[in-house]
Amino acid sequence: MLWDLIDIIRDNWLLLLIGQYPNGPLGGFAATLILSTLSIALAFPLSILIAFARLSKNPLLLWPSTVLVYVARGVPLLMLILWVYFMVPLLIGANVPGFVTMLVTLVIYEGAFLSEVVRGGIVALGRGQMETARALGHGYFGAMLYVILPQALYNVMPSILSQFVSAIKETTLGYVINVPELTFAANQINNQLLTQPFQVFFILAIIYFLVCWTLTRLALTLERRIARKRAGMPGIPLSLNPQSQTAEL
Amino acid sequence: MIKFSNVNKNYGEYRALVDINAEVARGEVVVICGPSGSGKSTLIRTVNRLEEIHSGTITFDGRSVHGKMKGSELNHLRSRVGFVFQSFNLFPHLSALENVTLSPVKVNGVKQEMAREKAMMLLDRVGLSSKAKAYPAQLSGGQQQRVAIARALAMEPPAMLFDEPTSALDPEMVGEVLAVMRNLAAEGMTMMCVTHEMGFAREVADRVWFMDAGHILETAEPGTFFSDPQHARAQRFLSDLRH
Repeated sequence: MLWDLIDIIRDNWLLLLIGQYPNGPLGGFAATLILSTLSIALAFPLSILIAFARLSKNPLLLWPSTVLVYVARGVPLLMLILWVYFMVPLLIGANVPGFVTMLVTLVIYEGAFLSEVVRGGIVALGRGQMETARALGHGYFGAMLYVILPQALYNVMPSILSQFVSAIKETTLGYVINVPELTFAANQINNQLLTQPFQVFFILAIIYFLVCWTLTRLALTLERRIARKRAGMPGIPLSLNPQSQTAEL
Repeated sequence: MIKFSNVNKNYGEYRALVDINAEVARGEVVVICGPSGSGKSTLIRTVNRLEEIHSGTITFDGRSVHGKMKGSELNHLRSRVGFVFQSFNLFPHLSALENVTLSPVKVNGVKQEMAREKAMMLLDRVGLSSKAKAYPAQLSGGQQQRVAIARALAMEPPAMLFDEPTSALDPEMVGEVLAVMRNLAAEGMTMMCVTHEMGFAREVADRVWFMDAGHILETAEPGTFFSDPQHARAQRFLSDLRH
């Protein structure tokens, strides 16, 4: 069994790592990593903007953002991917690569989910901090940037992290629209070997687990560092435990 | 310096402020007292427009506070009104020093080094230069409120407003905050102060405004107010305080 795993990795490590590159598109673990990193890097700032819009009194900001969040929450991600995959080329009259389709969908979907986390963090701070910042002469966005967000984002870090981990796992759905990422590569290997699906997908599971676990540990370290710096800060639990936060898919 | 003319404010049917006409002169220390729910905090919060009013005008240093203005103008106006909250509201993610330097740097564009120098001076003035690196959570309530006063002073406001600055403090910490306020008053700062500390009012105030149900019922020098209150409601309030 163990030898099977090692054999499979030895024979296919390049495919798992970079797909069929340079003979085909970049795929495998590299594509998964790029897709995850890009989607998180774009979804996070987007989520803050959506959260601002959701907190705004202006109906032109409030309504579209609310609709976006409700749609993202109410529709399965797979459905959303298929919609973007089939509809966007019809709308713009040009083919969109699967990778871009997947990226855009993930950014919107994750942005909507994250925005609710961010909004929750901002609302939970209460009015006092905003009021104080405004009383000192900060504008709305200045107060948000220097006073509210540093606290709100820190307080909701475990939930943000769960969402990041979710995003990494959600890249697997790119498989259904033929995005050549890690799951796609694993499936190619499985199709070649035919007889060892358990071993192949076991390797796949381990790789995903290691990536997500590393991210969790990194965030935990960061969190402890900040907590130590602000030692004894009231209202903020010192031992935030990311393991107790369940990531939802 | 601060002038209220025919100011009214309602919360629906409830009249929070009724026909307020009053003035705080430059360098004057006014203590506002009265039973809870009488509109003291609401009144003081209208001065930097943390609360809107429904009619009348308020001028601060010659400028109308509630007139039509751009957001940036309101921010500038607020930056010139020092405000100290009952619950301190220090920024918990910043050290005491950073709490004091943040707004001069980000709002007024003061250079970081100059702001730090000034902040150290102010922290020294409130007796906390040794706590510059401490975070709010590491400070007692009294210390936090003194940092909050230093933070407000860092904007070099021509007037300071205090909204029950000692009400959230343990009794043994009230004195240190009042001492800082006493010094400020002695230096000639224009101050409006909502407080239940009648000793402070008696000693430091130039005038006492007594409020009830949204009205200013009585304004008098503290000596007169405490020994010979004119209004029946004020007499009852003071006798309740003594018991």
